[in-house]
Amino acid sequence: MRPVLPVGAAVALNSFSESVRNRFFTIFAVFALAAIYASVLAGVMAVDQEGRVLADMGLVLMELTVLAYALFNASSVLLREAETKTIYLVFSRPVPRWAYLGGKLGGSLLTSVLMLAVMGLMHLLLLKLRGFGVPPGYAWALAGSFLKIAVITSFALFVSLFSTSSVSTLVISGVLWTAGHFAAETRFLASQAAGAKAAVLNAAVWLIPNFQLFNARDAAGAAAALPPAAFLSAAAWVLGTYLAALWLLSRKEF
Amino acid sequence: MSRLPLLAAALLSCTAGAALSARWYVSPFPPPSEIRSAPGGAAEDMLALALGARRLFADIWFIRLMQYYGTPEQLVEEEVSENGGGLYLEFLPKSRHVLEIDPGFTAAALYSAGSLAFNLNRPKEAEELLGYALKYSPKEWKYLTMLAAIGYSKAEKPAVVAAAIAPILKDPDCPVMLKQLAAFLNKKAGNYAAAAAIYSDIAATSRDEAYVKNAKRELQILAGREAPAPAKGTAR
Repeated sequence: MRPVLPVGAAVALNSFSESVRNRFFTIFAVFALAAIYASVLAGVMAVDQEGRVLADMGLVLMELTVLAYALFNASSVLLREAETKTIYLVFSRPVPRWAYLGGKLGGSLLTSVLMLAVMGLMHLLLLKLRGFGVPPGYAWALAGSFLKIAVITSFALFVSLFSTSSVSTLVISGVLWTAGHFAAETRFLASQAAGAKAAVLNAAVWLIPNFQLFNARDAAGAAAALPPAAFLSAAAWVLGTYLAALWLLSRKEF
Repeated sequence: MSRLPLLAAALLSCTAGAALSARWYVSPFPPPSEIRSAPGGAAEDMLALALGARRLFADIWFIRLMQYYGTPEQLVEEEVSENGGGLYLEFLPKSRHVLEIDPGFTAAALYSAGSLAFNLNRPKEAEELLGYALKYSPKEWKYLTMLAAIGYSKAEKPAVVAAAIAPILKDPDCPVMLKQLAAFLNKKAGNYAAAAAIYSDIAATSRDEAYVKNAKRELQILAGREAPAPAKGTAR
């Protein structure tokens, strides 16, 4: 009998290679390249702030591209396997559900890392071609984007287990993405509100992950360094949604 | 029944993650109540916050500000317009809006304050803008230096204003408009060597063709001049 961990790793690698082979990966990569090139035009308009505009636009486009692909992948991967009955074949073998789910999540995250790395290199090359160096805090910005993507991917995987379609998973995950970025504003509103309104807003503050903590690309220079709390918070949320997904998966009959 | 601990652990972990991020995060940005919506900009500001893309949207607002300032006003003489003069009544609200979205955009604050104080002759508005910028970047020495330069400009001492701005010019983030101003003030005060050095820097580093062309023209003019006695330049 094969040990459980290599089984999970095998699922992750399989999921990763499937994602990379998927034509959407190529589409998104081409899109990112074209979009980053288009940002050169915006850079020209900014004249002496071209370097800043190029860096900011590239980082945002990269994050949104990876987000779109990660959400698409996470929202459809389990549904697709259930529809094609592949999941029955997997569970007919000695594959624990936690290893299967962990593998799927790991595969999605590996794909995101690869996409961020490839697009990051293309972006840096573009900056170099325009005569700019590596923007300060660039690695932190990419790390922060990955943390956000990791949280939203695991959440989308969890939602896909109870939602009726990929679209509803995308919508619900999109809502969390927005709410996560609005966490600081929600906190401010909670401090201004009273009664039931304040209670609801405070509950939201303590339940929704604050994506601004991971948002290193909106902070300048040395301030862009991510604190250890950012990694811990993201890890806790990924673990929490993974456990919730496992709870849902364990209730399903395959 | 055995699945319930799994759900409880999931809830606990999510809450711990969210609580940790809520406790740790201190927003360096102005609260939403301070964001005064620019015409047609409320939707964009929402998007900037929702996508966590404040820097990018501040960049866009700054490009719009430069386009606004770069568009000649009607009923304003061409010469005045070419020298950056005019009314530009929306200059302060537009500049402030850039800083409301990203208060760390130092170059935008310096560009706006410099334009307001030295080109549009509205030093009060420049001081107001710098005061707002300092609220979120209290340790930013460039703002304090700029405030000092604005103070000297009221006394109409070009050499002192040029000297006050000088440290900012060495910063890679210094707006070319300020360099141009410093060069002009030095020329006005008779410090031709200093003016030429700044114009050379503009010609070598700026990506704005208009500034580069002007700097080259000024360098040619300065090359034909003799440097005056040092006492003459500081006599004002």
